[in-house]
Amino acid sequence: MTLEPEPELREALLAAVPSLRAFAISLSGQVDRADDLVQDTLLRALSNLHRFEPGTNLNAWLFTILRNLFHSEYRKRRREVEDPDGSYAGRLKVQPGQGSHLDFEDFRSALSQLPSDQREALLLVGASGFSYEEAASICGCAVGTIKSRVNRARLRLASLLNVDDIDDLGPDSMTRAALQG
Amino acid sequence: MTVDKGNKLARASLDNGSGGKLATDPKLDSGSQKRIGDQLRAMYDELMQQPVPDRFRDLLDQLDKNGQKGGSQ
Repeated sequence: MTLEPEPELREALLAAVPSLRAFAISLSGQVDRADDLVQDTLLRALSNLHRFEPGTNLNAWLFTILRNLFHSEYRKRRREVEDPDGSYAGRLKVQPGQGSHLDFEDFRSALSQLPSDQREALLLVGASGFSYEEAASICGCAVGTIKSRVNRARLRLASLLNVDDIDDLGPDSMTRAALQG
Repeated sequence: MTVDKGNKLARASLDNGSGGKLATDPKLDSGSQKRIGDQLRAMYDELMQQPVPDRFRDLLDQLDKNGQKGGSQ
């Protein structure tokens, strides 16, 4: 295939890079690896441009490519990536942008403890701005599956982060109630 | 005598139910959901605001030039 990105397309691809990176970093937990993923995504997109249907959502298409690359690589490197002792969370430390002093360590660490299917569903719907339908198409699964994964991801995060009120739903409060009763 | 046991069993099965197995996954209350969502977006926004590494601009520039020369590879 010849590669002849139109200037507009080049701009569109460039414009997509920040959101692709944010997704890749949050998904993989490693900036270097995320950047490699983004680069591979761009290359693959360019060599498959004939498959892109003009008028459809370019970002969704790019996210689909990135997600598939991530998972095929993940399968290869499973052992390296599995993270029972939380080293993923350690790698998640991204150099914060200048002046930003926000403390997301707890959040990143909690995010890293989610199963990857829940993490990606939450990132797509809750952060990247995709609809449930778009997320389902990106992940190649049913809309209901995405909804369920997002819901579980939120519940898990809430309990990991001790967000108030979550106790009302969890076994802990039941146990407590039983003990008090 | 058996009443007590019955209660415990009932509680135990409730506990299992809240583990999120099938039909009725519990849902977060909207306040907690909002707090989670806010934190997620804040973390994500920080990532989005990082400058685009030069390698991507270079990559696309490269392909652009190759394209104008009549194809690459």
